[in-house]
Amino acid sequence: MRSPDVIAVRRTPLRPLLVKELRGIVSGRALWTTLLIMCPIVGFSFFQAVSLYGEASASASDQAALASGLSPLDGVLVPTFGAFYVTVTLLFPFVAIRALGREKETGTLRLLVQLPYRTPTLIIAKAAAVAGAWLIALIPALSALLLWRMLGGHLHALETLNLLLGHLLYGLLIGAIALFAAAITESAATAAIVTLAVTIGSWVLDFTLAGQPGLAEWVSRLSLTQTLRPFEQGLLSLGLVLGGLAAIVGFAELAALWLHPGVPLRAKLVRSLGCAAVTGALVLLMAQVRTTIDVTEDRRNSFPAADQRALAALRGPLVVTVHLAPEDPRYVDLRRNVLSKLERVLPNVTIRLVASQSFIGRSGDDSYGEVEYGYAGRIDKTRSTSHREILPLLYGLARVPIPTPIAGEDYPGYPLVTNAALVLPWFFGALPLLIALAWWLSRRAPRTPLPTCQGGES
Amino acid sequence: MYHELRKQGTSRMSVTAAMANSVVERAPPLLRVVGLAKRYGEQSALAAVSFDVRAGEVLGLIGPNGAGKTTLLEALAGLIPVEAGELMWRGAPSTERRDMMFYLPDGLRPWDDELVPRVLTFFAAVHGRTEREVAETIGSVGLAPALRKRVHSLSKGYARRLMLALALLTPQPLLLMDEPFDGFDLRQTRDVMGLIRRVAASGRTLVLAIHQLADAERVCDRFVLLADGAVRGAGTLDELRGQTKLMAASLEDIFLALT
Repeated sequence: MRSPDVIAVRRTPLRPLLVKELRGIVSGRALWTTLLIMCPIVGFSFFQAVSLYGEASASASDQAALASGLSPLDGVLVPTFGAFYVTVTLLFPFVAIRALGREKETGTLRLLVQLPYRTPTLIIAKAAAVAGAWLIALIPALSALLLWRMLGGHLHALETLNLLLGHLLYGLLIGAIALFAAAITESAATAAIVTLAVTIGSWVLDFTLAGQPGLAEWVSRLSLTQTLRPFEQGLLSLGLVLGGLAAIVGFAELAALWLHPGVPLRAKLVRSLGCAAVTGALVLLMAQVRTTIDVTEDRRNSFPAADQRALAALRGPLVVTVHLAPEDPRYVDLRRNVLSKLERVLPNVTIRLVASQSFIGRSGDDSYGEVEYGYAGRIDKTRSTSHREILPLLYGLARVPIPTPIAGEDYPGYPLVTNAALVLPWFFGALPLLIALAWWLSRRAPRTPLPTCQGGES
Repeated sequence: MYHELRKQGTSRMSVTAAMANSVVERAPPLLRVVGLAKRYGEQSALAAVSFDVRAGEVLGLIGPNGAGKTTLLEALAGLIPVEAGELMWRGAPSTERRDMMFYLPDGLRPWDDELVPRVLTFFAAVHGRTEREVAETIGSVGLAPALRKRVHSLSKGYARRLMLALALLTPQPLLLMDEPFDGFDLRQTRDVMGLIRRVAASGRTLVLAIHQLADAERVCDRFVLLADGAVRGAGTLDELRGQTKLMAASLEDIFLALT
């Protein structure tokens, strides 16, 4: 027996804690149940997506214009990962809560907090285990991507990685919220209710308020689902990534503040307010970062390459005054087709929305529907929402020639007619069996010799 | 040594305890508890509790159920917030309690879905123990027959042995144990008492919360008698006899006289 000594908390190895946390999640039923449920949901979604993509491809096989509209990102990846998103929203909180809730329920937390680790370190280890669990939960969706390639489908690396990054951020955010919920509640069941209230509530918020004007539109942006939208559109938004990371770290820090049972409630509340304020400020600050990269292969979020180059050379400020209500479908079109792209390519753009009230009953206002463009002291107006009419107008204001389209830059599209039914046995048979086998193996005792000592007394 | 101790039984333990007493009485307090107070709403769980813990001793916190023993141990370990009180470690205000003491709660099955060896190796890895030390610990608490089991499937006695093994793997100088003999039969209780004496002899200090007075009398060097969250008496058995003027009294008689 080693003689007693004062231990050095700071030198304690992190690896045993990480291994313990990951094993704790893997040994629980929640992860494996989630995986088993995920198989048919993701599988059927993938099957439907491939079927529909195949039907669309059949009619586009001899028409290049139709074929160019066939993108695997929209046709296959987004629907397949949409099913993954649903299961992550509804089931992943249970996996993440287990990382902490079980220890709280059984009282083991009282041993854990006495180990020579700081409480943030304990939460970081649990968050790392949750990230590991997310990676394991990704297996059905990743296998869908592999099957898609095996069927002859096309994948664009950047598009795919960007979509995975979006789902990783979303999964980690759900995990961090679940850890926080587990830290503030006494039972895993209550933690699950709290987390699902946030995730499903956010979902409902997204459904009911999206597209509404004014405050409702702002509130709808708080929906967690909104985190995924740009990634599904093939946009890598630096502000969103940084804001998402700030929110994840904020929730993890809140979980750490509430973890130790020996801290008085008042101190926990005061520190939590400070942490929430800092996190909120960081998220708002990151929301101001406008840098967004279009990672799509078909460059759907950008103007044609020749226009991009010509516009990037315009250094002066462009002021766009829009006489449209925000809920007007024409404004939605204009925003998607022109304004968002201009914001990404021009260094200095100001967009002013003049008609902020409802567009109903504005038929008497002659200027309603006009969009005014001001550049270098010159102003022009149009009611068009198409870049084909607006860009020449801008070139005219800037007194630069209309660029010549670059040949061969057209997106070819990737039509694929295939038998989607081939994927069903994998998702409804082989993969669930493999998962069940892995579950069984994870429950077996290790083959390594047990640490026994004959006459070990000393 | 352990087997010898078992053969010699409690009389040997009493001698060891008496020798330890003479040593620890001269030593300065390892831990001084001053005015510890804890309330649950209107009810006082600890009322200005003060006492000393001397290095190398086995101190018994004695009291009936509801006396405040567990609350006191959790307050000492920093696992519950307290309204008032101070801890002095070797004469200085305590800072990082995790460096000083380790608390073993009562009736806990730690990481109950895990295999027993994994829980042990986790603790060993965290505290830098070697495989040999783990094996020795397993042997010393008699945990070998339970090594292929998951924690939730252990009997009460083996769950207690596992907790004991975890405590032995920790390096803190002071061990706080809540009802360490609960769940053991007579022979096992004697074994564990022997083990506790051996741990104390190796230099560690133990504070045991015990409600069985006969067990406490056999294993502890000194006692703190608790009732209704307040200290009713503290000292060795002889000192308590002197306080109560019951010179041949058992701990049970003294406790009844003081509470």
